[in-house]
Amino acid sequence: MHVVERHNVTVSGAGSQAMVFVHGFGCDQRMWRQVAPAFEADYRVVLLDLVGAGHSDLTAYDPARYSTLQAHVEDMLEVLQALDLHDAVFVGHSVSAMIGVLAALREPARIARLVLVAPSPRFINDADYTGGFEPADIEELLEAMDNNYLGWSGAMAPVIMGHPDRPALTQELEASFCSTDPAIARHFARVTFLADNRADLPRLHTPALILQCAQDALAPVAVGRYVHRQLPNSQLVVLDTSGHCPHLSAPEATIAAIRQFMTVVRMPGV
Amino acid sequence: MSEDNNELLPDLDLRLTESNPDDLYDRAPCGYCSCLPDGTLVRLNQTLLGWLGYRREELVARRCLQELFTIGGQLHYETHGAPLLLLQDQVRELSYSLRCKDGRMRPVLLNAVLVRTAEGQPLVIQATLFDITERRKYEQELLRTKQLAEEQREQLARANEQLVSKNEQLTRINADLDSFVYTASHDLKQPIDNMAGLFEELKSAATFHDPQAAPMLTMFEGALRQILSTIQGLTEVVQQQRALEQLPAEEVALQSFTEDIIRGLQPMYAPYATPFVLDFGAVPTLRMARSSLHSMLYNLLSNALKYAMPGRAPHIRVSTEAAGDRVVLVVQDNGRGIDLTRHSKELFQLFRRFHPDVEGSGMGLYLVNRLVHQVGGQVEVDSTVDQGTTFRIYLPR
Repeated sequence: MHVVERHNVTVSGAGSQAMVFVHGFGCDQRMWRQVAPAFEADYRVVLLDLVGAGHSDLTAYDPARYSTLQAHVEDMLEVLQALDLHDAVFVGHSVSAMIGVLAALREPARIARLVLVAPSPRFINDADYTGGFEPADIEELLEAMDNNYLGWSGAMAPVIMGHPDRPALTQELEASFCSTDPAIARHFARVTFLADNRADLPRLHTPALILQCAQDALAPVAVGRYVHRQLPNSQLVVLDTSGHCPHLSAPEATIAAIRQFMTVVRMPGV
Repeated sequence: MSEDNNELLPDLDLRLTESNPDDLYDRAPCGYCSCLPDGTLVRLNQTLLGWLGYRREELVARRCLQELFTIGGQLHYETHGAPLLLLQDQVRELSYSLRCKDGRMRPVLLNAVLVRTAEGQPLVIQATLFDITERRKYEQELLRTKQLAEEQREQLARANEQLVSKNEQLTRINADLDSFVYTASHDLKQPIDNMAGLFEELKSAATFHDPQAAPMLTMFEGALRQILSTIQGLTEVVQQQRALEQLPAEEVALQSFTEDIIRGLQPMYAPYATPFVLDFGAVPTLRMARSSLHSMLYNLLSNALKYAMPGRAPHIRVSTEAAGDRVVLVVQDNGRGIDLTRHSKELFQLFRRFHPDVEGSGMGLYLVNRLVHQVGGQVEVDSTVDQGTTFRIYLPR
């Protein structure tokens, strides 16, 4: 299967520069629907699903390969290559913010700017670092997922069986918004919440915008500040909203902050 | 329509229809709460407060709904529940556990709707929580059972793999064995043939003075014949086996096929007229590879002649019967019989013989049994010493 189909890539908008929006754990590309259209007038807007999420090719999810973020990083670079994109703006939410950082380190020419939406380089607390969670909390999340999938399994079937184009299934699909194969979700949760990419941050010189929610239980302000300190060429904007998804809870503020970042030619102090 | 209803109404207690909606809100058998879009609690009903063990003022404007969940539940809500609520303005049947003030857990299902302002801005979340303590126990049991079933399936798959590999090993050994028997019989045949030729030469060229020499020569000749026939039999077994793996089954007309075999046996019953009676009226044809059927019938019929009762004219009846989805081929003789109480277990063993005074290799019945089993059939034997033997061969149609 071609990489574009594998990731359910959709391209819209006009412009010489591309903006690539990548969702985080728990949802898919549809979570950008209140933000991405705002950039279609000036940019080529690229939306995609990570392998294992949304309408991506679920059969491509090999747990052994996707046991670290590196496989997702390779996937993103493959998409950029397939679309022949250079100097793109990579907008990544949560775990995909880190995927963006790793991709920019790997092939700097492809990514000119990074927008890190609610990033966290490590969710688990460590000596001299507060990620916000203990390993036991992650086990509890997996348990909560298990409990929820009991109820989902029926609604999930159409997605798993892969008939996304059949109109008769639209209703079920709506019901299964942001859900995917339970085994994949469980695996991806582990990979997401046990990742540690703190050491990668200081190596990055790509200009980056950190969009931090004022109240975020998953990625608290302290974590946003940490990312800002560790990224040499970054700018921190704290949005007056709560939760982990500013692109859903405060889409206008999110759009405005990204626009502001794109118009600044050089970062202050660089 | 009202008249019918009016007649029923006096049976109802009208006080039930006048219950206070506020009372219903507070004491409903489920938890109600209203939250700001970020989850901050603004209103809770008494049922929910009772479950949690908190006073209203400890929660209102101070805590978020998701903070009442376990940390794992909160993670799930932030990554899945909250985005869904903002995307589709409602979530249904999300499964969480409430952490009560006294530390106890209460499993709940959460349904919630997001109410927006006229401008489309999120205004308030209305949530309903259902106590599912018992249901959660069943679910846990289901999850455990599912896990157990998966483990057992894996064990089964492993056992099956071992079985397959053992089977392959056995098939290999079997093929090696056939190959060995074939090679051995082939390699032995040449020197034995030479010995037989040399012996003939020796008999005509040499003169023996010992009076015992003549019977010894006869015995030697007998032994030579025996060994040649054994080697011949071994070769046949292997060739039959190989042929079976290649030859297709076909519909064979029994009457003419059996008559051909009987003609070949003529020297064995020469003093008598044909001792055979054929009756294939019930089932005139059989589906089998021709060579297998030939070998099977030849062995059964020649055995019947070979082990005829001395001094009694042999009488052999060959017939077929229908038996449901199977065909029975019956070969009945009036020969010496076999003592089945003593020998039934060894009847079909290779080289096993029951009448040492009659020449034979001990391979006939072994071969018959093997051929029949190979096509999915079975052999039954009934025999009375000095009276006769009946073989019943069951074959699939």
